[in-house]
Amino acid sequence: MDAIVEFIQGRLFWRILLFLHFSMAVTLLVAVTLQAISVLMPTRQLAIGNFIERVRPVPPKTVAALIVILYVPTFLLGCWVYIKYRTYVRIPMEQFGHWWTVGTFEVKEHVMSFGMALLPAYWWFWRDPLSTDFTRERKWLTLFLAFAVWYAFIVGHTANDFRGVGS
Amino acid sequence: MTQALDVNERISELDCSEAKGAPTAVTTTATLTTSKFATFAITFGIAFAILYTVLERLNWPLFTYHPAVGKIDFWMQRPRSGEGPPMYWYGWLALAFPVAALVGWIATLVSTRALFCATIFCCALAALWPGAFEVWSYLDDRSKFDTDVVQSIIWMSAIPGLAGAVAVTYLIPVEWTERVWTRLLLIMPIGGLMVLTFSLRSYFLR
Repeated sequence: MDAIVEFIQGRLFWRILLFLHFSMAVTLLVAVTLQAISVLMPTRQLAIGNFIERVRPVPPKTVAALIVILYVPTFLLGCWVYIKYRTYVRIPMEQFGHWWTVGTFEVKEHVMSFGMALLPAYWWFWRDPLSTDFTRERKWLTLFLAFAVWYAFIVGHTANDFRGVGS
Repeated sequence: MTQALDVNERISELDCSEAKGAPTAVTTTATLTTSKFATFAITFGIAFAILYTVLERLNWPLFTYHPAVGKIDFWMQRPRSGEGPPMYWYGWLALAFPVAALVGWIATLVSTRALFCATIFCCALAALWPGAFEVWSYLDDRSKFDTDVVQSIIWMSAIPGLAGAVAVTYLIPVEWTERVWTRLLLIMPIGGLMVLTFSLRSYFLR
């Protein structure tokens, strides 16, 4: 770890990590948003027509697996980047009195942790998306994850704007 | 156009047949409890929400990480001069995840009835204990300035919390718990988030 940090200049190393975290978060955001749309507005037949109609019938099982696969490393990468946030970003944030940003970031930790714990159940419920059982569970778990990812993305982006890549 | 109408008719027929044979909450829960992974996953999700909220509120991390000096201490350590801010979040996660996994694994071993009773007991306790604490500390003025009093109230409020949880477990039929079991998977994290967000109100009211 120290060797990597020394090899790449310290600040650049954290910026690369943050950029990776951001890129994965964007991909996750797209996947979870697509699935949230598909559970909120399910289609009954093959879609033909405009962009929105074609977006709705995404293959749910594949997308659910993709969301789980993306969520875990994005969360772990976020845990790693969090070290830099705690020492390099949060302290000046408190000094400048950006209490709302600090508070919302604290909530982000909790939201993402709860989302992480729901992933096994989420994956299990989406194993058989055509089944009429557990439609409600699939819908609400997807919406919770969509909320968690969107919330984390917006709050993380706000923190990055304060002190991060490109700020 | 005709084909489209035919498709729509067939879909409406399908909808009717689905509605007639629609699974009830009890049959779907029976499907769940026959799958060990489903039992584990649902119990894990519920248990994690409760454990994480409790560990955060009591500030019981498995370890404390001091990022400025790269040092790890077992359990909770207050900030020390010259060592920068301590981080507890990793410690809460490191404790909540394995304990919730253990609870989930135990859930796969016990009978369905015992699982539902234990679930409703733990969920009721998680709601009633902090509820009793809040009411008690609101009524006792000493809690505003005396941390020892607050500590004693935390443990004393466990008594009404436990009594209430036992009463709820006894009074609520197992069939009802069976129906709400999967709903608890979302109710507990949302409840936990509400508690945790409320505890951060000082950030939003400055």
